[in-house]
Amino acid sequence: MQGFRNSRFFGFMILAAMVIFFYALFKFLTPSNFGSPANLFSYFQSSIIYSVGGCGLYFIVVMGLFDFAVGANIVLSSIVGVILSEKLGYPGFILGCLGCGTVIGIIIGFLYNKLNVPSMIVTVGIMLILESVAVFAAGGVKQTLAPELRFFSGAPGNIILAALAFALMWFILNYTRIGTYCNAIGSNEFTAKNMGIDVKKYKLIGFALLHFFVGIMAILTVSYGTTMTALTGMSTMSRNFQPLMGTFFGVAFRKYGNPISAIVIGEFIIAIIFNGFVALGAPTTIQNVVTGAALLAIVTLTARGGRGSVVK
Amino acid sequence: MSDKKILLKAEHIDKRFGITHAVNDVSIDVYAGEIRALIGENGSGKSTFCQMLCGIYTIGGGTFTLDGQPVNVRNQVEANRLGVSIIVQEMGTLSGLTVAENIFLGHEEPFMNHGIKNTPAMIREGQKLLDEYGFTNIKAGAMIDSYNFEDRKLVEIVKATYMKPKILIVDETTTALSQNGRLELYKIIDAVRADGRSVIFISHDLNEILTHCDTISILRDGEYIDTVNAKDVNEDDIKRLMVGREIGSAYYRTDYGKTISPEVVLSVKNVTVPGQIENVSFELHRGEILGFGGLSECGMHEAGKAVFGASLDREGTVTLADGTQINDIPTAIHHSIGYASKDRDNESIILNESIRNNIVLPSLDDLAENHILKAGKLNRFAQEFADKMQTKMQGINQFISDLSGGNKQKVVLARWLGKGSDILVLDSPTRGIDVKVKQAIYALMQELTAQGKSIIMISEEIPELLGMSDRILIMKDGRINGEFMRSESLSEEDLIAKMV
Amino acid sequence: MARNDDMNQSKLSAFLDSDTFKGLLPFIGLVVILGAMYYLTDGRIMQPKRLRLLLSQVYYPMIVATGVFFVMTLGSIDFTEGSTLGVASIVVSVLSFYNIPLAIIGGILTGAAIGAVNGFFHVKFRLQSFIVTICTMYLFRGVCAYFTTETAIPASAAIKALDSDNLKIGITIAVLIVAFFLFKFTRIGNDVKAVGSGETAAKFSGVRTDKVKFLAFVAAGALTGLAAFVNVIKVGSITSTAGNQLETQILISLVLGGLPITGGAKVRFSNIVVGTLMYTVLNNGLVMLGFESATQQLIKGVVFLIFVALTIDRKALKVIK
Repeated sequence: MQGFRNSRFFGFMILAAMVIFFYALFKFLTPSNFGSPANLFSYFQSSIIYSVGGCGLYFIVVMGLFDFAVGANIVLSSIVGVILSEKLGYPGFILGCLGCGTVIGIIIGFLYNKLNVPSMIVTVGIMLILESVAVFAAGGVKQTLAPELRFFSGAPGNIILAALAFALMWFILNYTRIGTYCNAIGSNEFTAKNMGIDVKKYKLIGFALLHFFVGIMAILTVSYGTTMTALTGMSTMSRNFQPLMGTFFGVAFRKYGNPISAIVIGEFIIAIIFNGFVALGAPTTIQNVVTGAALLAIVTLTARGGRGSVVK
Repeated sequence: MSDKKILLKAEHIDKRFGITHAVNDVSIDVYAGEIRALIGENGSGKSTFCQMLCGIYTIGGGTFTLDGQPVNVRNQVEANRLGVSIIVQEMGTLSGLTVAENIFLGHEEPFMNHGIKNTPAMIREGQKLLDEYGFTNIKAGAMIDSYNFEDRKLVEIVKATYMKPKILIVDETTTALSQNGRLELYKIIDAVRADGRSVIFISHDLNEILTHCDTISILRDGEYIDTVNAKDVNEDDIKRLMVGREIGSAYYRTDYGKTISPEVVLSVKNVTVPGQIENVSFELHRGEILGFGGLSECGMHEAGKAVFGASLDREGTVTLADGTQINDIPTAIHHSIGYASKDRDNESIILNESIRNNIVLPSLDDLAENHILKAGKLNRFAQEFADKMQTKMQGINQFISDLSGGNKQKVVLARWLGKGSDILVLDSPTRGIDVKVKQAIYALMQELTAQGKSIIMISEEIPELLGMSDRILIMKDGRINGEFMRSESLSEEDLIAKMV
Repeated sequence: MARNDDMNQSKLSAFLDSDTFKGLLPFIGLVVILGAMYYLTDGRIMQPKRLRLLLSQVYYPMIVATGVFFVMTLGSIDFTEGSTLGVASIVVSVLSFYNIPLAIIGGILTGAAIGAVNGFFHVKFRLQSFIVTICTMYLFRGVCAYFTTETAIPASAAIKALDSDNLKIGITIAVLIVAFFLFKFTRIGNDVKAVGSGETAAKFSGVRTDKVKFLAFVAAGALTGLAAFVNVIKVGSITSTAGNQLETQILISLVLGGLPITGGAKVRFSNIVVGTLMYTVLNNGLVMLGFESATQQLIKGVVFLIFVALTIDRKALKVIK
């Protein structure tokens, strides 16, 4: 029985039960305008964008780090991608998003290691800088993705790209040392160091990988919305949190062995709840309330510290 | 024995932690094909010695030579490569990884191909190893989190031994294992010996050592004492070797036969802290020094916390003479109980704070006039008690993190003197403290008891217990296992017999 | 010669790492920034009209920063100031049609209630404060947006009529004096610092750590609620963006003021005043110099990172996460 309760299957069952529960709840409350197969598919399509970012954030959050510059880099990488796409088409678009994303990730990891300051704080500063860089890059105008470059804006393009991202994540976690070492550092940094793991190097790799996934998320985001406007004033802060929710699901279900399915299903659950409220007639401004309450519920259930532990 | 090949040669190994000389010029030869027990009291340096060999600590001085090759490594993985591996006392496996990932952590190289890890091969290999060891119920591909402590320990055994180390160190692992797990471990160390390799076996269980080890090396206070053949000695012989030190009577109490006041100031009834102590009951009398002794993990440290109201999930009662129940720290402090923790830097003092604020903190309510604190008054108070303890400092505004261990402890005591505590719980009061400060602390303890204050002194040092206590309680496995009254004829052997 | 350089270098880096330097840095920073702005704007920044504008932007951030100061002294962090200000401003505006004192009390209580939610989740479930307050920031930002979906919420004419520098200065100074007194002359300040420097040891010294932490969050919320009143008399009507990103502004201000992000013994009350002033001077100066907003933000970001790297107390961090 103990074996079963800890198996991958059991973890998956909990998530599936949550999907069914929330689906049934909202279907019961508003049978007519919620939850048709077409609706569900559209919820899913919006949720996978966040799931991709959630996968990237997993590498960082599992090590106990944090990154507030994700949102700013989504905007910056989208803009760089769109600008490059104007001359170079798809290759410019894709490589622009991914390349810009990854380079920023390496810079963040480097600064974090060099400055020796908590990641949460460094990334606030970097977020400010990236937002302004994005404005310069965009030249103060709205960037629009050309209509002929919108393969990733809907099914099947977005699904294919997201699936590739999930496959990559799965590959990294299971078939490289990176996944093992990130988990080891998160579990006990001192022991990990003692096992010969170069902690600083893998933190840098973690940031680079996160922002590579942010690059993928940028492709999906700008394709889905078709335009991207760079704004200063910390307006990108809110983009950090939707991927983060999936990551919290992933970290919570890590012990069952498969964080990716937890991230994807977790984001889907959030999408169901949000759309359920909208179907009930709540204004879309309720989205933040739902997001906040859901996030708080998730962390209360999964991230609480041990009794007597010191938590800042 | 001289015909045997020397496998590991340790020469003049040395290590200091601050003023503590943890390992003092230890030279040991370990021969190929033997199981060598390393024994000694708490703090004798046996774990530190082994942890230097496998890179957990840096080597303070001297050299290790294994099979003709010098060993001076920075971490366990490097140690493994040179043929040294260790099974540690605490949990050595990492959560969030699979069993196979744990076994091969740091040694993924054989499964790597252009940066790609052949996970199926790794799991197959892990499972093969587990099956070879007979741990068929553990699945290499499963998450380590799905196994209990004992199974995780077995995985650690595999992790430490599969690469056929020349030297395997087993550091007090058996206490964590059930009978079955122990048998598995014995089988494995026997196999290592049969293979012409060697084991260094650390344990407090003398019976186990005599049954399973070939030779026994004894350390005492960081110094090497002797090595004997297991078949030539019995438990009593070993105990004699473990102690047998002169008690530096110069700074302990010299009085015997003091009558303890019948007045009970604190009574502890049926106190249980799950996983730590079980059903502990005792009474503390006015003006007495009540010593608590035992092995590190016997529960005596938790007993001190329980008295101070600091234990989580405590059952049972701690009651003062006036009927006050102590269930939390503020109540304990308010009713005149003071506590100095073994973990001085985390629990006793606020490291990143000034001496002044460390001293005044528990007394703020007393020092406030209508809730208002005046800097001058606080300064005078802190100065008075820091001076009373003769704390060596630049001034009361100096940060306490700059002080030596002894002076930090003086600040801790100054704080409780200032508070006027009538009951002091002193956990390892002289741990890592030089002789001069030790003397001062012992003198203070006597002065305080003469004033009618009572002290619970928890100590891992047997001479200290014998030298200072009016009464000694020995704990073992979370329970009180023996009680001794102060007496000149009381010996270290008497106490050790109740500890192990 | 090379050796000499090394010596000088190590002396310099030792000085840069010393507490004296770290304590002075914010003041030096404020003077340097003021001087630079004075020079670059040909003294225009010191014109009475400019100064009044500058001051008018100081009041409510300084009140909010005073509350957050207590939270950050604990070594914790609070990201809810912006949304708290928004929600409390709505309450103040609605109540202002009935009774002004009621509106003020309503604002403070609203803020205190949000702070209590933060403190409850942080203390009771031992969740990291930045995670809790991110969640509640979102939640209350949503609440604020929900009530302002259709139209902005107006405040009564009576409350807008109160808008005067004297009142705002009076409130700000009163808050600072009371907070200074509590911090310096009661055990509150000692307890908060003790928790920040070493929570376990503080607990073993008789500090009721959970209570202290909870109350710090309540205080931060309540002061933000009071700041909402100052905000309402200034702006007159509340939109969904009220208080947007205030939390990051406060965080940056306090860090610029020299508050170590680890909290604890090395915080100074002056961090609040110096930091808020520095942020506002920097902000106004950059505007006056005619930089576009992106450039302004770039400069702020760089200054912020430099200040964090210089002021952080690395000794207090065992593992940097």
